[in-house]
Amino acid sequence: MTNVEHSTSAPDAKAEVRRAVASLSEKAPNAGSTTSDLSIDEELNLHSIGWEPVQLVSGLSVFSTPAGLWRWGQGEIVAAGEAHEQAFKNAIRRLHSEAAMAGGHGVVGVHVERSVYSTHIEISLLGTAVRPVGAKAVDASVVFVSDLSARDFTMLMVAGWEPLGLATGASFVYAPRRTVGTVLQQQSQNVELKNFTEAMYSARETAMERMQRDALALRGSGVVEVKLIEGPMSFATHAVGFAVWGTVVQLAKDAHQFVRPMMVVSLNDVDEAFDPSALA
Amino acid sequence: MSEVTNDLPQATGHRLEELEKGLFTSDLSVNEFLLIKEVGFHPAGFVMGSSIYHTGIQTRKWGQSLELTKLTEAMYNARELAMTRMEEEAAELGADGVVGVRLTVNYYDWGKDAAEFIAVGTAVKAEDGVSRLNKLGKPFTSDLSGQDFWTLLQTGYFPQGLVMGTCVYHIAHRGIGQTLGTTGQNVELPNFTQALYEARELAMTRMQDEATQLGATGIVGVRLEEKSHQWGSHTIEFLSLGTAVLKTSDDVTLAKPTTIITLDS
Repeated sequence: MTNVEHSTSAPDAKAEVRRAVASLSEKAPNAGSTTSDLSIDEELNLHSIGWEPVQLVSGLSVFSTPAGLWRWGQGEIVAAGEAHEQAFKNAIRRLHSEAAMAGGHGVVGVHVERSVYSTHIEISLLGTAVRPVGAKAVDASVVFVSDLSARDFTMLMVAGWEPLGLATGASFVYAPRRTVGTVLQQQSQNVELKNFTEAMYSARETAMERMQRDALALRGSGVVEVKLIEGPMSFATHAVGFAVWGTVVQLAKDAHQFVRPMMVVSLNDVDEAFDPSALA
Repeated sequence: MSEVTNDLPQATGHRLEELEKGLFTSDLSVNEFLLIKEVGFHPAGFVMGSSIYHTGIQTRKWGQSLELTKLTEAMYNARELAMTRMEEEAAELGADGVVGVRLTVNYYDWGKDAAEFIAVGTAVKAEDGVSRLNKLGKPFTSDLSGQDFWTLLQTGYFPQGLVMGTCVYHIAHRGIGQTLGTTGQNVELPNFTQALYEARELAMTRMQDEATQLGATGIVGVRLEEKSHQWGSHTIEFLSLGTAVLKTSDDVTLAKPTTIITLDS
C-alpha cells in the first residue's frame, strides 16, 4: 500500500523535464542569472578587472574522414589534417555564436576535448562566456575564445595583453616502415631510426606552421600555453600525428605592464602543495 | 660517447623563419610568461628536438652486477640528439636560452627497443640585447619553470645548462645459497645495496662533470629517476638531471617573503 502512496506523492519527472527543456528555448532575462564553471576565486578575479561571467557555452564538431584514409601510404595524410582543422574551426565558430547570443565578449577557460578515430575526428569545446560588467552584446565575429583559465585571463589583462582567439594546427604523416633487412641489421645496434624521426619532424613542422598561420591571421603577436599531443595513432601505428593549440595574444596597451611579483610563503597545509607523485 | 650528428631534419626551417618575424609561440603559462618578462626576457619560440632511437642489445650475466655501457651510451646519445636539436632551433632563433625544458622518453609500438626521446622548451631572448650564451657559446638550457627561473635570478644566479648523467646498470641476482641463508633473518643485502650505490654514483658524477664543463658553481633542482624501461626487473637506468647555475651578480634582490594564508580551498 505504501508503495502506491509513494508513487502518487513523487514529483512528476516527465513534467519536470518538459519544463526544463522549454526553459532552454526561452530567452535569458536581461539582468538574469548566470551559469559558469568558474570557481568563486576565478569569479572574484574577473570582477577585479571589471569583467563578469555570463553563461556556460559549448561548441562541438564531429568531422568524418574518408574511408580507408589510414591505410598504408606515403607522405602527409592531408585529409586527416584538413578534417582536424575543419572540426576545430566549426567548434570554435559555434562557441562564438553561442557566446555572442548570451551577450558575451569572449570565452575563457575553454576545455578542449579532442579525439581522433579511424573514421572521424571529434572536437568538443566548453567554456564560460565573459564580458565587461554590464556591457552590451557584440557580434559573434569579434568574440574571442581562449583556453586560458579565468585566473590566467585576469593576469594577462592586468599585464596589458589580451587574448584574440585559439590557434590550432595538426598534421598526420605516414612513417615509412623499415625493411626486414634493416630491422635485422639494426637489431643489436644503437642507432637513430631516421624514417620515424623525420616523419615526426615533418608532422610537427606542418602542425606548428598551421598554428602560426592561425595566429598571424588573428593578428596576434604570440601564442601562449601551447599544448601538444604527439605520437603514433592508436589504430594505425604506421602513422604519426602531431597536434598543437594555444591562445593567441597581443599587447593591448602601449607597453607591457610589469606585475612586480611579491614573495610569499603560504601557511596552508603542506600536503596540499606537495604532490608525492612528482617524486615517482 | 659516440658521435652526435647535429643536423636538423629537413622539415625544420620555414616555421623558424616565421618566428623570426616577430610572432612568438610558447608553452609557458601566463604566469610564467609574465615572470619571464619581469626579469627582462621575451619568449622567442616553442622549440623542440626529438629522436626516435633504437637501443642495441647487451647480454647480462645473471649473477653479475655491472654497468651496461652500450645501453648507457644509447640513452646518452639519444637524449643528446634531442637536446642538441632543440638547442640548434633556439640558436637559429637567436635566443639566449631555453627555459622549462622537459626531457621525456616515450615507447610506442614501433618494435622492441625503439623509443622516442623528446626535448621541448621555450626559447627566450634578453630584451636588453646583451648576450646570455653560456661558456660554450650556446644558448643556456634549463628545466626550471618560469617561477623558479624568476626566483633564481633574484638570488644573483644564472642558469648555464641542463646537465644530466645516466647509467644503465644490471644488478646481480642472488644465488640460491644466499637466498636460503638469509631466509628468516633481518639482514642487509650488500650486493643490491652496493650495486644501486655504484650506479647512482656513476650517474651523479657524470652529471657533475657536465656542470664542471660549463664552468658552473652548482646544480639546482636535481632529480634522480630510476627506471627499468623495457629491460626487466634487474636492469635499471639511473638518470640524474638538474640545472647548472653560476653566480653572476652579488646583489640579491629577493624580498623577504610575506607569509600568507590563502583562501583557496
